[in-house]
Amino acid sequence: MPVPHRLRRLLAAALPAIIVVALTACSNAQYPNSVFHDHTEFNRDVGYLFKILLWLGTFVFIFVEGILLYTIVRYKRKSENDRPAHVHGNTTLEILWTAIPAVILAFIAVPTVRTIFKTQATAAAGSLQVQVIGHQWWWEFRYPQYTTQGNGKLDTLTTANELYLPIGRTVNFALTTQDVLHSFWIPQMGGKRDLITNRVNHLWFTPDSVGEGAWNGFCAEYCGTSHGNMHFKTFTVTKANFESWAAHQLSPAAFGAVAAAPVTPAATDTIKPVQVPSEAVSPGKLNQIAVTPTGTKGGAVAAVSAAQTPAGPNIAAMPVQQGGFVAFPKEKLPAHTIPRTPIPDGLAYNESLHGDTERGRALLTAGQGGCLGCHVIRGNPMMVGQIGPNLTHIGSRTTIAGGIYPNDTKHLALWIKNARAMKPGVVMPTLGKGQLDPVTKATMAMGLTDEQIADIVAYLQALK
Amino acid sequence: MATTATAPVYTPVESYVGESGLWSWLTTVDHKRIGTLYLFTSLFFFIVGGLEAGLIRWQLAGPNKHVLSAEAYNQMFTMHGTTMIFLAIMPLSAAFFNYLIPLQIGARDVAFPRLNAFSYWVYLFGAIFMNASWFVGAAPNGGWFGYAPLTTMQFSPGLNIDFWVLGLQILGISSLAAAFNFITTIVNMRAPGMNLMRMPMFTWNAFVVQFLLILAFPVITIALVFLQFDRFFGTQFYEIAAGADPLLWQHLFWVFGHPEVYILILPAFGLTSEIIPAFSRKPIFGYPVMVYATMLIAFLGFGVWAHHMFAVGMGAIGDTVFGVTTLLIAIPTGVKIFNWIFTMWGGSIQFSTAMKFAIGLVGLFTIGGISGVMHASPPADLQQTDTYFIVAHFHYVLFGGSMMGIFGGLYFYYPKITGRLLSEKLGSWHFWLTFIGMNLTFFPMHYSGLLGMPRRIYTYEAGQGWETFNLISSIGTAILMVGTLIFLINFWRSFRTGAVAGNNPWGAGTLEWSIPSPPPEYNFARIPRVTSRYPMWDMRSHEHAELSHAQAEESGAHIEVATGRSARDLGIPMPNQTIKPLICAGAMVIMFSGLLFIHENNMPLALSVILGGALLMTLSLYAWVLTPLEDAH
Repeated sequence: MPVPHRLRRLLAAALPAIIVVALTACSNAQYPNSVFHDHTEFNRDVGYLFKILLWLGTFVFIFVEGILLYTIVRYKRKSENDRPAHVHGNTTLEILWTAIPAVILAFIAVPTVRTIFKTQATAAAGSLQVQVIGHQWWWEFRYPQYTTQGNGKLDTLTTANELYLPIGRTVNFALTTQDVLHSFWIPQMGGKRDLITNRVNHLWFTPDSVGEGAWNGFCAEYCGTSHGNMHFKTFTVTKANFESWAAHQLSPAAFGAVAAAPVTPAATDTIKPVQVPSEAVSPGKLNQIAVTPTGTKGGAVAAVSAAQTPAGPNIAAMPVQQGGFVAFPKEKLPAHTIPRTPIPDGLAYNESLHGDTERGRALLTAGQGGCLGCHVIRGNPMMVGQIGPNLTHIGSRTTIAGGIYPNDTKHLALWIKNARAMKPGVVMPTLGKGQLDPVTKATMAMGLTDEQIADIVAYLQALK
Repeated sequence: MATTATAPVYTPVESYVGESGLWSWLTTVDHKRIGTLYLFTSLFFFIVGGLEAGLIRWQLAGPNKHVLSAEAYNQMFTMHGTTMIFLAIMPLSAAFFNYLIPLQIGARDVAFPRLNAFSYWVYLFGAIFMNASWFVGAAPNGGWFGYAPLTTMQFSPGLNIDFWVLGLQILGISSLAAAFNFITTIVNMRAPGMNLMRMPMFTWNAFVVQFLLILAFPVITIALVFLQFDRFFGTQFYEIAAGADPLLWQHLFWVFGHPEVYILILPAFGLTSEIIPAFSRKPIFGYPVMVYATMLIAFLGFGVWAHHMFAVGMGAIGDTVFGVTTLLIAIPTGVKIFNWIFTMWGGSIQFSTAMKFAIGLVGLFTIGGISGVMHASPPADLQQTDTYFIVAHFHYVLFGGSMMGIFGGLYFYYPKITGRLLSEKLGSWHFWLTFIGMNLTFFPMHYSGLLGMPRRIYTYEAGQGWETFNLISSIGTAILMVGTLIFLINFWRSFRTGAVAGNNPWGAGTLEWSIPSPPPEYNFARIPRVTSRYPMWDMRSHEHAELSHAQAEESGAHIEVATGRSARDLGIPMPNQTIKPLICAGAMVIMFSGLLFIHENNMPLALSVILGGALLMTLSLYAWVLTPLEDAH
C-alpha cells in the first residue's frame, strides 16, 4: 500500500510543522483573541509553561509516531509464510518506557507547580479591586475603591459589559454570580476563572506590556440559552485616563441629574476613591455583596477599610468632571471589538425619527415601558431597579446587550423594541407596540411606539 | 511452524444458531443475540449522535449562521454528548462484552442470562425515553455534564432536564446490572486452565471496566438522585437560594465523569490488544505489564477528577495535587502505546482494515494523550479549559481512541458474529475517509480554542480569527459522514454477500476463533481446557502438531464435532427463553416516566403511571424469580 504510507509520512511531517508555523502566526492581528499575547505577567507565565508543554509534546509526538511509522513500514508482511518469533516482552525496554516518560513529566511538573503558586498567590497590596458579577447573560463590573456619597447613600462605581483597566496596575478580580455559573475570560490578558454561586473566586494580573487598547472578553462556562451571547469589552487605558474615566463614571447622569436635582452634583457629592487592602476582601464579606447587588454593604466594607488604613495610597478627592477622558474613543476601537451580530429577520425601526431627550426622560420617569423596574440611572430618582445593567452612563459605552451589538441608535432602538428577538432568552421583555414576544408568543397590544422609543433612545444616548 | 502459515481452507459449515423470528429476539437470553441487539441499537444511536454533530458543525461552519436557534443548538450539543457517551460508545462496548467475554473465556453464556437481557431492554427503553424528549420539544439542554444550578428548577423549569435526569438514572441501572453480571461471569465461568493471567487482553480490559462501572456509577446516581429530588420533591441540595454550593454537583459528577472516560476507552484498548497481535502474528508484548497498566489507569482514574475543575478556584494545593496525579496517568497510558508498537515490532504486519483502525488508534490516541498532558498543567489549562482546545483533545481520545478501536473491533469480529467478512475494499475507503475526516475535523479545533473560541457557543461573530478553522472542521465532519455511510453500506451488504469467514479467518490465537462463525447457541460443544494465552496458536504450532488428537481436542480443536447440531441434540442444558426481563425493564421505565406528569401538574395521572409501572414491575419480577432458568434434567 504505497499511497497510504506516503500519506502517513506526509502527515507525520506536516503536523508538527503546522504547529510551529501556526504558533508564530498566532500573535498577529489576524487572530485578535489569541491566548499567545504577553500583555500581562499571567499570560507570560502561562505562555512559558505552554512552550515547555508544546515542545516536549512535539518531541514525544515525533518520537512515538516516528517509531510507529517505522515499525509498520519495516515489518509489513512480506510473505504469507512469515513466521515472526514470539517475543513476549523485554523487561529492560519496559522499565525504560516507564521511566523516561516519568522524567519528562517531572520537567513539566516542576515549572507547573511553581506557576500554580505564583499565579494563585494573594494579589499585591495596592491592587485595583474589581468585583465581577455574572448575570444571565451580561457582566456587571463594580469598583469598590471608587465610591461616592450622594443623597445619603453610598454608590459604588458600576458599569456593565465594559471593563476599564489602568495600564501597569495589578487588578484583582473578585468573581461572583447572581444566578448560574459563568466563567470570566479575556484571552489576551490571562486564564479564565469560574464564577460560582455562593462563592467568591479571585483572579489577578497586571496589564503591564500593553498600550491603550480594547480587548474581547467572553463567558467560557455554559450558562444557558444565550451563553454564546455573553461577551464584554476590556479597555486598557493610562492611569491618568483611568482616574478621569472613574471620576466621570462616579458622577450622576449628566442629563438626568440636571433635570432631577437643581443643585449641581459637584456641590453635594464628595467622591472618595478608597483603597481596599486585599485582606479586607474576605470571602464572607464579598459573599454578602453577591446577594445584595445594591452594594451598600460592599461600599461600607470599603469605607471602613479605608478609615482603618490611612497609610494606603490616598487618591485625592476629585471634582466631578464631564470633560477629559470619559470613554474609550470609538474611532480607536480595533475592528474585532466592534460587534457585527446581524439584526434578526423581521425587526425594523424607522431610523429617520428624531427623539427628544426631555420627552424620553419623562417617559422613563413616568414608568413607561417599565424600565425603572430593572435599571438604575443615578441622578434620576425614579430609576432605581436592580435587575438589569446600570444605565447611568450608557451613552458612553461602545456596546449594548452583553457586547453583541454596537451602541448606536438603530441597535439601541431595536433592543428596546424587542430585546427577546435580538438575544434569545433574555429577561428584558419585548416592549415595542405590535411586536411578537418570542417567549410568551403574544403580540404586544400595548407598548412603546417607534416615536416613544426614539425619545427614550435620545435620552439614553445623552447619558454620556 | 510452516503448516500454520496459511489459514486452512474452510468449507462453509451450517452452524446451529437457534430459531429466528421477532419473538425469539424479544425473549432471547443468549449472550450472543443480546450482544447483537446491543450492536444494532448502539450503531443506530451512533448515527443519531453523528447527525446531531453534523447539525452542530453546519451551524458553526461560518459566523452568524441560522441553521439552529440558540435553544435548538443547546439541545443539540447536550444530546450529542449524552447520546455518544451513554447511547453509542458505552453500549457498543457492551455489545463486545456480551458477545466476546463468554467466547474468550470458554463459557456457554454469562452468569445471569436473564439479567443480561434485562440490561439490554433497560438500555433500549432508556434510550427511547431520552430521545422521546425531541418529540415533545423538550430535549435536554443543560450539557452532558448538567452543571447545577443551571439544571435546577429555578433556571430550567421545562421538562428538558427531567428527561435527562431520569434517562441517565435508567441507563445507569442497565450499566450496573450488566457490570455485576460480567464480573461474576469472568470470576466464575472461565474454562479449566484459564487462570487470570491467561485471559485474553480484551477480557482483561472488560474486567477492569466493570469495576470502574460499579464504582463510578453509584456516584452519578447519588448526584442525580439529589437533582431528581430537588426537581420533583422540593429538596435543596443544589438550590442556590438556600445556600447550596454548586461544587457539590461538580465533584460528584467528575468523580463519576473521569472514570467514565476510561469506561469509554478501555474496551477499545482491549479490542486493539486483540487485533494488533493477530495481524502481527505475534503475542502481545509485555502481557503482564499491559494488565497492570490497565489496572493502574483505572485506579489512578479515580484520583484525577478535579482536573476538570481547575478554573473553579480550588486553590494552589488542590490544583497541584490533581495536576500531578493527572500527569502520572500518562505513564501507564504511554506503556500501553509502546507495548502495542513493540507487539508490531519484529512482527509480520498485515494491513487489514481492522489493523488499520487499530494502528489509527495508536497514532491518534497519542495526540489526545499529548494534549491531555498539556492541560494537566493547571495554569496552562486556564487558557485551554472550556475552549475548543478541549473539544479537540477529547475527540482525539474518544473518536481517535474509542471509535477507531470499536471500528477495528467491528471489522475484526464481524465475521465471528455473522459468518461473513466485511469488504476490505469498502473498509479501506471507510478507514481513510475516517482518518482524514477525523483529523480535518478535530485538529483545527486546537487552533480555534487557543485563538479564543469558547466551547458551547451557538454562534460567533465574523472577524474573530475563527472562520477558517471552523470551516475546515465542518468540511472534515462531512468527510467523516461519507466514511460512516460507506461503513453502513459495507455492514449491510456484507451480511448477505460477504466472503464466508470460517472459524478463524485472521489466524488469531484466542478461544473464540476455535468455534464456528457464527457460533452455535451453546458456543462450545465441549468446554475447552486452556494451557496458554493463545491456545489456537500454541495448539497449531509445530511443537503441538504431534500431540495426540485427544490433547488437541482438549485445547480447543473440537471444531468439527458440533457443527449443525442443536444444544438439545447434544444434550447441553441451555437457559429457557423468557419475555419477563423485557416486561420488567419496560415497566420500570414506565414507572420513571410517570414523574414527568408531576411537572405537567397532573398528579393523578403521575401517580397512576408511577404506581401502575411499579405494580407491573413487581409482578414481572416475581414471575421472573419464580421461573427456573433451565428445564429440570
